[in-house]
Amino acid sequence: MAESGGGNDIQWCFSQVKGAVDDDVAEADIISTVEFNHSGELLATGDKGGRVVIFQQEQENKIQSHSRGEYNVYSTFQSHEPEFDYLKSLEIEEKINKIRWLPQKNAAQFLLSTNDKTIKLWKISERDKRPEGYNLKEEDGRYRDPTTVTTLRVPVFRPMDLMVEASPRRIFANAHTYHINSISINSDYETYLSADDLRINLWHLEITDRSFNIVDIKPANMEELTEVITAAEFHPNSCNTFVYSSSKGTIRLCDMRASALCDRHSKLFEEPEDPSNRSFFSEIISSISDVKFSHSGRYMMTRDYLSVKIWDLNMENRPVETYQVHEYLRSKLCSLYENDCIFDKFECCWNGSDSVVMTGSYNNFFRMFDRNTKRDITLEASRENNKPRTVLKPRKVCASGKRKKDEISVDSLDFNKKILHTAWHPKENIIAVATTNNLYIFQDKVN
Amino acid sequence: MEVQKEAQRIMTLSVWKMYHSRMQRGGLRLHRSLQLSLVMRSARELYLSAKVEALEPEVSLPPALPSDPRLHPPREAESTAETATPDGEHPSPEPMDTQEAPTAEETSAYCGPRPAKVSRKRRSSSLSDGGDAGLVPSKKARLEEKEEEEGASSEVADCLQPPPAQAEGAFPNLARVLQRRFSGLLNCSPAAPPTAPPACEAKPACRPADSMLNVLVRAVVAF
Repeated sequence: MAESGGGNDIQWCFSQVKGAVDDDVAEADIISTVEFNHSGELLATGDKGGRVVIFQQEQENKIQSHSRGEYNVYSTFQSHEPEFDYLKSLEIEEKINKIRWLPQKNAAQFLLSTNDKTIKLWKISERDKRPEGYNLKEEDGRYRDPTTVTTLRVPVFRPMDLMVEASPRRIFANAHTYHINSISINSDYETYLSADDLRINLWHLEITDRSFNIVDIKPANMEELTEVITAAEFHPNSCNTFVYSSSKGTIRLCDMRASALCDRHSKLFEEPEDPSNRSFFSEIISSISDVKFSHSGRYMMTRDYLSVKIWDLNMENRPVETYQVHEYLRSKLCSLYENDCIFDKFECCWNGSDSVVMTGSYNNFFRMFDRNTKRDITLEASRENNKPRTVLKPRKVCASGKRKKDEISVDSLDFNKKILHTAWHPKENIIAVATTNNLYIFQDKVN
Repeated sequence: MEVQKEAQRIMTLSVWKMYHSRMQRGGLRLHRSLQLSLVMRSARELYLSAKVEALEPEVSLPPALPSDPRLHPPREAESTAETATPDGEHPSPEPMDTQEAPTAEETSAYCGPRPAKVSRKRRSSSLSDGGDAGLVPSKKARLEEKEEEEGASSEVADCLQPPPAQAEGAFPNLARVLQRRFSGLLNCSPAAPPTAPPACEAKPACRPADSMLNVLVRAVVAF
């Protein structure tokens, strides 16, 4: 077939879908972030209602080896609640903007979740046994009358139904005037950064009452503001290096060893604008919505409204690869401005080997680009293909002219169905794709 | 002219989006406001340059007139200055106190014969001589004049919804001003006959549209 899947001829199959079936989407259920943990065993989602839902992969069943383990709900908890800033008379949304997992150090799992203003460190732990046989307490917890105690016994642990508990261990608050858009854990596993529109702060995971401001682009006179920070990430291997992207389409790489306040970048990545593409909305579609380092640390990927760009950290003047996600929208920018779609912030992700990148689009389409074969594929997250192990059919959008069979025309695209958040398992070909309120899990076909 | 109308429509739309974004949960989004102000600035440039082209036989153009919506840096800083204020840290208690002269100067840079308002002082009395009708930030006078200009904007009424009746938030004055302004613009009242048909824009007496432009810009400035 001419259009084989991106990524070494992978065939992607439907695996699972999570979430309500109705078309009537409750706003609180809108998924706002998706993240695999470092082993890929756990998959966390955050939603607009401030909830975090964690799915756990079942252990592989060796007998039925035609599919990998399914993801089932492991824990659900309310991470953030709506708050009110009395000084500014503003409501603070409880929507979870980002979740980032910490690497596992002991039996418990830790993750950071953030809304617009506050970051929280959550501990997720399992309890599958409980102590029984206390001397001073009854089984239901009531205290016994000490005078009735005639013998002593040693309490023992007895098995119980598995209980997964989530508890907030740290709350990092009051450090951001503007809305937090990113958090990123350092490779030292002790510190992390949080970024809002104008500032980036460095935290220590153990210390909540203090953070260091490492980037501040707020002008002395706010009337001179021309750009904001849109995303930030630590380098996966160098604990002194991080990048942040801007609304002007630039990425700055900073080295924390250079100075305490990293206002002067070490590297500035910027591609000169193509004059033939200049249009009325050029400025706003060049805004970068996501930046992600490759696992190797050699490359980084940025997502702007119409494209995905791969940058070599050693080359600042242009990206090494550019992939058009939905170029057919370039002529529709005015309509997309009217319906606010032009402001959508798409994310992007790498596969485990950094050979394929993925990002979302409209009409519940998502795209994958194979960096080696230069092939790309468009797939759809839809309940119509929801028989397990159904191979997804590649989709194609017809930009203009005669529409071939099975193609969909640009005007028929549903711009309310957008895939902003996707995640790729760190080791396997399993992907999680979030539509408005559903989470789809796809796997490659295992023979 | 198509370009002018389109630019005007986009400007109106942008101001409406800005107003609407302040009502949303979570408060003003700095990034969104910045993007809206960028579009508004480009639209304004496009509108002004389209208007200059329309008036070309009458005025001498400055040599560096851009043909596409690109800005000279000083004006860029100014425009951003005018539009990118919202961060909640220094709210202007009086929305009317914002700069007005730069706008007038820009307009006069393009249209020579038009009277330029250089004084930045606010006139408390209403200066309703026709020439300065749209240029002087007089609260009362401006609001009254606005009612007369409803008819000139019939073309922008279609795609926009009427603003909510109740203003909320930290700047109720501004919200009310915007609301009253744009209810005039957006809901073309059938009772008021249009003061001039849209086709008149090509003629020198396109003052109503021009005033509206300045009103729109001033609304952004106040914002």
